[in-house]
Amino acid sequence: MRDIDIPSAWLRGFLDVCLLGMLRQGEAYGYELMGRLDEHGIGPVPGGSLYPALLRLEKRGDVASEWRAGDGGPGRKYYTLTAQGRATLKLDVQAWRAFSGTVDALLSDTGREVAPR
Amino acid sequence: MRPETWLEQLSHELATRGLTPVDVASIVVELQGHLTEAGGDPLGVFGSPAEYASRVAASIGPVEAPVRRPGRPRIRVRDLAMSYRRRPVLRGVSLDVRAGEVLLLVGPNGAGKSTLLRIVAGLTRPTSGHVAVSGPIGYAPQSGGLFEHLTPAEHLVLFGRGRGLTRARAQREGQHIAAQLGWDAMSDGQVVGELSGGTRQKLNVVLAGLGDPDVLLLDEPYQGLDWESTRRFWELLWAWRDAGRAALVVSHAHDALDRVDAVMELGVPSREVAR
Repeated sequence: MRDIDIPSAWLRGFLDVCLLGMLRQGEAYGYELMGRLDEHGIGPVPGGSLYPALLRLEKRGDVASEWRAGDGGPGRKYYTLTAQGRATLKLDVQAWRAFSGTVDALLSDTGREVAPR
Repeated sequence: MRPETWLEQLSHELATRGLTPVDVASIVVELQGHLTEAGGDPLGVFGSPAEYASRVAASIGPVEAPVRRPGRPRIRVRDLAMSYRRRPVLRGVSLDVRAGEVLLLVGPNGAGKSTLLRIVAGLTRPTSGHVAVSGPIGYAPQSGGLFEHLTPAEHLVLFGRGRGLTRARAQREGQHIAAQLGWDAMSDGQVVGELSGGTRQKLNVVLAGLGDPDVLLLDEPYQGLDWESTRRFWELLWAWRDAGRAALVVSHAHDALDRVDAVMELGVPSREVAR
């Protein structure tokens, strides 16, 4: 459930940093991450975006994965943040804070200048 | 669509897009797990197999060059000079090698490449200048450095002890590194004096890597190795580099130029030296 509509183009841009951020709290598997994105009001993220994003992060070396036996079903692929992923996250968080602050400032400034008619 | 059918079509679509069987299997099993746990029609959750495969292929390829994030300097050399019998061998050499970086030293014979490595290793005192190394060093000399009458396994124990490794750990680690070079270090019962030049060179590299040193100094590390072993050597060195080690490598081989992060040329003979 979400109460705001997040444009899908934004999601594409920020899914990676959201995933890295969630993995900072510990390992998780794909479906679990999908649930957490939803809980935070970002999701539901389509499965068609989530798994390729995790795979991309893994190929890039920002996350590592390990297979574990699931409860009766097929194994689960657990993702953890690597040291490189931690460094990426740190830079991305800084970039996001700076960028979102800039956008906020721009929107407030331009908001003030709109003269009511 | 039944999950089995969807996954089967996906494997096919992924394979036609050039993904390796290992990647395909990993992707399919992960999605199978998702469908088992979450339920739902795969077409609704993931879209058509062809669309999904295209998205996966787009997200992981084309293979990008990894973003290089050189770390802090592990080797720092400033204004180094070295004279041997009043003949200058090194003059005013300065360089940095950072964590996660391989620097190649090239130059003619007698340019001081091996001398520079010995100075960084702390074996030779420079005439002047400053050298700082942070972290343990693994050094593979160009020749020698091995005991003619000991076997490779005995070398592992002896060198491992020097780096605080137990006998078992030294042999296990050494065997692991040797395996990456395509060599079984433990089954070679011969003493080093009876080994081929290439095998001795592999042993030198293995000993340099024992105990996870932060800094690697490799002097002509793959001279005498065959093509396959040379390829394995580079893959091993890249893995070490990607794990954050700094490496200073001396090599005459031209192929080395394209395989390192930086190149430094030493001792283009100057007029003063020639005089």
